[in-house]
Formats: sequence, structure tokens, C-alpha cells
Amino acid sequence: MSIAVARQVIAAGNLANLDTPGFRAQELAFDKALDSRVGGLQLASTSAGHLPAAPGPQAVAARDAGGSPRRDGNTVQLDRELLTMTEAAGDFAKAQTALAAKFRLVRYALSEGR
Amino acid sequence: MGTLTSAIAASRSALTAERVRIEAAVSNLANAESTRGPDGTPYRRRDVVLEAQPVGPFDTLVGGGTPAAGVRVAGVVEDRAPFQRRYQPSHPDADAEGFVALPNVDQAEEMVDMLGAARAYQANLSAITLIRDVIQRALELGK
Repeated sequence: MSIAVARQVIAAGNLANLDTPGFRAQELAFDKALDSRVGGLQLASTSAGHLPAAPGPQAVAARDAGGSPRRDGNTVQLDRELLTMTEAAGDFAKAQTALAAKFRLVRYALSEGR
Repeated sequence: MGTLTSAIAASRSALTAERVRIEAAVSNLANAESTRGPDGTPYRRRDVVLEAQPVGPFDTLVGGGTPAAGVRVAGVVEDRAPFQRRYQPSHPDADAEGFVALPNVDQAEEMVDMLGAARAYQANLSAITLIRDVIQRALELGK
């Protein structure tokens, strides 16, 4: 859900700068985002001499989306950004459905199956 | 949801910027034949300068991740391109040779600019609708 939101935010920023000369379209660096999620896993330390693994990056990074610039140096593509936003909204809805199902189970357990 | 509101703030800043662009284009079209401005010279075409600006600094401060890139109007500048000249000796503003200096406004250019701004406005409006849907879904978690 956080990643869907991050994509949404970046795409909204790109759309806002549709006509800003020289603006470079950004996109979510998915590999970095993935790292920041699984970066929380710690290596097992079986000896006191083991050093802890470095913590994963916390903030989700955005990077230049590339693409050929228009005459004003802007690389935002309207269709691409709207597609990203729709896609991210869909991803968010999927994750929300799964999380809501989990919450329903918890509530069911709390109410002792009634 | 904090960053989603900053996404809306970015889209909102774009709505304002595009509105200013449409206003400038309309003003240029309206004054395409104005030979006298406030300073006595013909009207000069106005151009809007846009500039990217991060919004939602508070979200970033509390670790909300990448700030959304909003946009702001950096200024409205006058086009220094030379005036058009039309031969019309009967005009009160004609010079000694009978030429009238007319504003440096190209009507086709203004129309294209206005269409582009209107499309961008629509796109940002769609973006706000999409973000609103996502916020709505997030709120449904509490039901």
C-alpha cells in the first residue's frame, strides 16, 4: 500500500509539471523500494563478534524516468502518468482488500466467532 | 495518507498554474489589436513562467518519503518580440510613414497554448479524482 501511494504521489507530481520547462519525469525506483522493505531483515548473529547488517534505506527513492525530452526539455508523458496513477490505484485497492480480509478475521476471532 | 494529501496539493498547484496560463492566453487574445496600453505603447504578449516546487514539506519532515513535485507560477513576463506593423494611415496611432504598431500576439499560438493548458487542467483534475478514490479505499479499512 505504501508503495502504491508513493507511485501515486510521484505521478501526481509529474502531472503537475506537465508544462514546466526542463522538468524531468520521475518514477519510483522499484528495486530501491523493495530493498527498503526487505532491508528490515536482520542477519542472524551466532557469535558476539558478528557485526549487525547495515539498516536498509528507509525513504522510498524516486529517480529520473528517462524518455526523450520535448523541445522545452520536459520529459513528462501525459498518458504514461495517468496510466501509472490508475495502476497504482488498482494496486492499492488490491492490497486494501487483502488487509481488510485480515482485519475481518481478527474481528471474527475477537467476537469469538459470533 | 499524509503523502496522498501532498499529492493532491501538487495537483491543486497545477490547477492554479494552468488557470493562470489560460488567463494569460485569454488576455493576449483579447488585446490582439490593442494599440494603446497603460504606458501608451501597444500591448505586449504575456507569457507565464512555470517552476517546479516541492509540496508537503511537513510530510518529508516526519519521514513521509519523497515530497510531491508541485508547480508554481514563477512570474508573468512580457514577450519582447517586435511589434507587428500594419499599413493603415487613417489610424490615429499610425507613425509618419502610415504604419501602425500592433501587439506581438499570434492568435494561432494563443489558441494552441490555451488548448494545452485546458488539457493539462483536465489531466490534473482526473489525478485528483484518482487520489480521492484511493483515500476512500483507505478509509474503508475502518469499516
